[in-house]
Amino acid sequence: MPAKRTFCGSPEHAVNRRAFLGAAGAAGATLAADMTQLDALASPAVNDALKKTQKRVILLWLAGGASQLETWDPKPGAPTGGPFRAIKTDVPGVAISELMPKMAQRMKHTCILRGLDTKNGDHGSAAVTMMRGRRNEAAIRYPDLGAVLAREMGRPDSKVPDYVSFYTQTEGRSMAPGDAGFLGARYAPMDLTTNNVPDFIRRLADITDLDHKERSDLRDVLGKQFAAGRHSETLGSQNEAYERVRGLMSSEKLFDVTQEPQKVRDRYGPGQFAEQTLIARRLVEAGVPFVRVGRAWWDSHGQNFETHQEMVPELDHVMATLIDDLKDRGMLDDVMIVTLSEFGRTPAINASLGRDHFASAWSSTITGCGIKGGSVYGKTDANGNKVVAEHVDAGSLFATIYEALGINPEKNYYYGSRPIPLVNPGIEPIKAVLK
Amino acid sequence: MRLRLLLTAALVAPSAITARAADAPIANTPIPQVIDRYIDAAITEAGVTPAGQADDATLIRRLTLDLVGRIPTTREVDEYVASTDADKRAKLVDRLIASPGFARHQAALFEAMFNPEGNNRGSGGFRQYMTDAVRENKPWNRIFREVVVPDEADAKLKGAAEFIRGRLSDADKLTNDVSVAFFGVNVSCAQCHNHPLVTDWTQDHFYGMKMFVARTFDAGAFLGERGYGSIKYKPTKGPERTAKMMFLTGAVVEDPGKEPTADEQKKEKEALEKAKAAKTAPPAPKFSARAKLVEVALKDANAEFFAKNIVNRMWHRYFGSGFVNPLDQMHSENPPSHPELLAWLARDVAANGYDLKRLTRGLVLSKAYSRSSKYDSNPPDSKLFAVARLKPMTPNQLATSLKIAATDPAAFDGKKPDELEKMYEQAESSASGFARLIAQPTENFQIGVGEALLFSNGERVLKEFLTDGGNSALARTKAMKAPAEVAAFLVKTAYGRSATSDEVKAITTYVEKRKGREADAYRQVLWALVTGPEFRFSY
Amino acid sequence: MPAPNPDTLKLAKDFSRPSIVFGVARKAGTGTIYLACSDFKVYAADITAAKFEPKELYGHESYATSVALAGTTLVSGGYDGKLMWWDTAAGKVARTTDAHAKWIRKVVASPDGKFVASVADDMACKVWDAGTGKLVHDLRGHKEKTPHDFTSMLYAVAYSADGSLLATGDKVGHVAVWDAKTGAQVGACEAPVMYTWDKQQRLHSIGGTRSLAFSPDGKQLAVGGMGKVGNIDHLEGKARVEVFDWKAGKQTAEFPGDKFAGLVNRLAWAPDGSWLLGAGGAGEGFLLFFDVAAKKTLRQEKVMMHVHDVDLSPDAKELVCVGHNKITVHKLG
Repeated sequence: MPAKRTFCGSPEHAVNRRAFLGAAGAAGATLAADMTQLDALASPAVNDALKKTQKRVILLWLAGGASQLETWDPKPGAPTGGPFRAIKTDVPGVAISELMPKMAQRMKHTCILRGLDTKNGDHGSAAVTMMRGRRNEAAIRYPDLGAVLAREMGRPDSKVPDYVSFYTQTEGRSMAPGDAGFLGARYAPMDLTTNNVPDFIRRLADITDLDHKERSDLRDVLGKQFAAGRHSETLGSQNEAYERVRGLMSSEKLFDVTQEPQKVRDRYGPGQFAEQTLIARRLVEAGVPFVRVGRAWWDSHGQNFETHQEMVPELDHVMATLIDDLKDRGMLDDVMIVTLSEFGRTPAINASLGRDHFASAWSSTITGCGIKGGSVYGKTDANGNKVVAEHVDAGSLFATIYEALGINPEKNYYYGSRPIPLVNPGIEPIKAVLK
Repeated sequence: MRLRLLLTAALVAPSAITARAADAPIANTPIPQVIDRYIDAAITEAGVTPAGQADDATLIRRLTLDLVGRIPTTREVDEYVASTDADKRAKLVDRLIASPGFARHQAALFEAMFNPEGNNRGSGGFRQYMTDAVRENKPWNRIFREVVVPDEADAKLKGAAEFIRGRLSDADKLTNDVSVAFFGVNVSCAQCHNHPLVTDWTQDHFYGMKMFVARTFDAGAFLGERGYGSIKYKPTKGPERTAKMMFLTGAVVEDPGKEPTADEQKKEKEALEKAKAAKTAPPAPKFSARAKLVEVALKDANAEFFAKNIVNRMWHRYFGSGFVNPLDQMHSENPPSHPELLAWLARDVAANGYDLKRLTRGLVLSKAYSRSSKYDSNPPDSKLFAVARLKPMTPNQLATSLKIAATDPAAFDGKKPDELEKMYEQAESSASGFARLIAQPTENFQIGVGEALLFSNGERVLKEFLTDGGNSALARTKAMKAPAEVAAFLVKTAYGRSATSDEVKAITTYVEKRKGREADAYRQVLWALVTGPEFRFSY
Repeated sequence: MPAPNPDTLKLAKDFSRPSIVFGVARKAGTGTIYLACSDFKVYAADITAAKFEPKELYGHESYATSVALAGTTLVSGGYDGKLMWWDTAAGKVARTTDAHAKWIRKVVASPDGKFVASVADDMACKVWDAGTGKLVHDLRGHKEKTPHDFTSMLYAVAYSADGSLLATGDKVGHVAVWDAKTGAQVGACEAPVMYTWDKQQRLHSIGGTRSLAFSPDGKQLAVGGMGKVGNIDHLEGKARVEVFDWKAGKQTAEFPGDKFAGLVNRLAWAPDGSWLLGAGGAGEGFLLFFDVAAKKTLRQEKVMMHVHDVDLSPDAKELVCVGHNKITVHKLG
């Protein structure tokens, strides 16, 4: 079992949830003797922690940069507005692009952040920033949202992965990889790129299921002898990883969309994005804390309106279906849906009828969990060139997400002895959109 | 203020070890003795009982992994264990350090240290440069000079330039990476503001360091450096400042660089283009800031950073943890666990021409190094180095060791030393593809489920390590009759030691349940052994 | 009279515009042009006037994409799905028709001015009585979805010179030919190269048949668009024209383009059929002249803006191009 690190002796650090839940899962006698862990059980922090484990996030990652003007922040009639109209929604006073009629009827569940000003219009580095809520430092690679949630919400005895990331298109994939940063491989995503079934989750044909299981048991028996009297967190993580293998293999079915009733599949519709989003719903339902569904590639330098005419209705349909589905299952209070890109697109329309990279005034949405549905935060000017009220940057967006999930954004991780808060110091969640 | 108080408190806490000045060892005491004197003193002071010395089989495994990056063959283990030579440990260390595997393995470690993000690791000229440097035992200060002021005209040294070349587009990163690699100081926090927690580092330090490297540019096939160029930055408070060329200690270098006139600029451009056309190095500036950095960093008391950094890093390499952790956080508010020992070793390495082989030899011959990693009761504070730490293998160590373990030990019999070296090298290179699938250990490393899934269900594991053809260990089992014999054989092959009776029993039971499918059973047994923690770690 | 040689093409005038001009129609024999613009408005202007001063006539509720003159009636279509009928004599909007459920891409008038045809992304081609505004035909046949389950688009429509035929072209390169009088489909051609579906890298599409033109004798049908695109973020496919014997549904000539990248947004034949003009663009624009019979490219000329539409005078001596923030007038002969 990993030795616990305590950094400053504060009770907060003693409540090592992972270790606690690991003990419960492994039911180890040696662990039960550890009084700090029994104390932890009674601590409100642990109750909070257990509550948190119910929360899940599905990130619809609109890679390449979806246009805010053709989605959440339309400017009909402005010289920069493009051809599509704005339509009324079920929230009085809030209008979105006519390309999203289905979401227009569901905005009461969704919060739009229209004031994103994130300064970076380069695909690669902007994606890194928007996945982490901050820029990497020269010598620190921060964990991304999925890795943080894997750490905060994941359980060591879980039979499902902690962090799953779909990104099937090749464009931009290497620019925005899921990355656990300094949290390390333990929290790295299970990446799905070429198909919807994770690598190495399926037993090879040359070994029977029984052999596979008993081989693993033999490994445990042989390993116990070595582990006795040895104290190492890395050693613990290795055993934890192998203990999870069989459970994860049994989760293969979660990735199999054909297990879903035809009626539900029809509801999501055909296409890769719809299927992967449905799989994401299956995964969060089974307890996966974080799933990213990467939908590339929105980089409409030419023919912006044609591109959005194709892709926005798909987003509209899939997102609306996901909301309905989660609502029907009573999960919308516990599952958060985020739409996010590395940046938005220029109000100016170029000669190829395209829009280019733009990070000064763009939009993201958060739906479900502790977010105030129907709220709109942030206001851009008439042509959409700049934010005129209620700025949001990557840090405050992430602080808001953490807060809504019940995670203290000021919570520290430790990189060696250096405390690293989940968001940079001084950054506050947006209270106005939190319930 | 509060931080200062905490710091004072930390200095009297048992974690910061003090030794009486009167005990300070004199300069020519052998390194292992000095290490053990300080380490043991701290252990005694803390009132704990250290772990005993590791047995011979464990020690040769540890030394072979640490020095040459693979597990020993069973023959190497047996010979070492059987030897009654009182000097056998020193002889083993000397043999390993002298072997080609030492240069290859240490170069890979240095490369990972210089390039923690792992881009293009292993393939480029930098690895070759480091391999040559380790083999020739180049002094660390010379490596510093060759990396920071590379002589690209010399084909043998050109690879060293890749460190700078890979960072040309980001002078901030270059600044920080130079500072991290050579001085153990991460100044990146001070880029945007004075460090909030560490008073040592201000923005002046960051930009002062940046002044040394920011004049570098890409001149085609060569790196170029201008003799001028200033950096302005906006401090969090007050008006914009022009950076002084300043080392971490606060030592300011007079910068003769002046902005060139239009005419000088034109001449400079012409000279550059001429050099480019002739495919020669661009003219060197009269004043090279990078050369100045090397000079300043090695001068007198300034060299403390440089020397302590390499000692801390080498200690971390062999003991699994530094005196100062993380390795890039050497500053006044993160004191070392053993300040006198660190200072002594730093003085010693500087006084002995930054000879890293000598330092390495000294570290691994200490009793502190050869302690057991087992401790049956609650272990003492890991900062005391009273128990050996488990070190997760690097990707190369793991993949190469898998190759060795999968090979019939008899294949290494009757070979001359150079033939053996070739076999080890072959194992290493054939394992390098698989190594790329394994994560490089980092600070607070945790093994992810991805690795466990790869080993459990990956076809490559089966095909590359668990075959029963040729001179594989599994092929050898075909001729064995009794499962107990196979159990003993496979445990020995994988772990380099005799099987315990419990192991033999567990394995025999497993095999007997698979009557008629023994080949499958043995493959599965070998899998269970090499995926176990005893294989995964240097212990 | 033989048409002027394309070699004689030269720029006579150019005007800047604050908006994107998507459509142009010219009152034959005069300097009066009508413009459909991205500021939702339709303008009238005189290119022969000393000072070029477009006058706003009326507005759509979204981008005005196309204008056509049917006799003295100007008909415009827009992304608002509406057709607006402007009585040029009376100077007022005679009628507004909710013509299509989706975005109107193109409006054309029959050569005799009696009919108007419109195409929109509801994948319908609708034929209207120019006098009464009544719907005459609702031509259906273009698929609403691409083979990849995205909504398709219907970009192009053209009448034959005698008014007996209509051709329509959609996003996936499918072209239908209709009997303009009966509304029966009488032929089809396929130009699949003009549709690029990026299955792996970006998972969406670009392209489409953007322009159509019957040869003066009505036997050949030219189709314009863009060749296969590597990076569909950009209009980087080569400007492409294919010519079909539409009755046989067989391609007879192919001009894959070797100089300009971008969409061929408009095609026009010389009155004597001696050459075919293609106009379009990407970041900048182009004019292409082809000798279809000889399968030869005669001239490829850069234009200062991405060209969305042209008006070629009946004698082919004057060419008005409209597009991204600019209008140009070229002379021939």
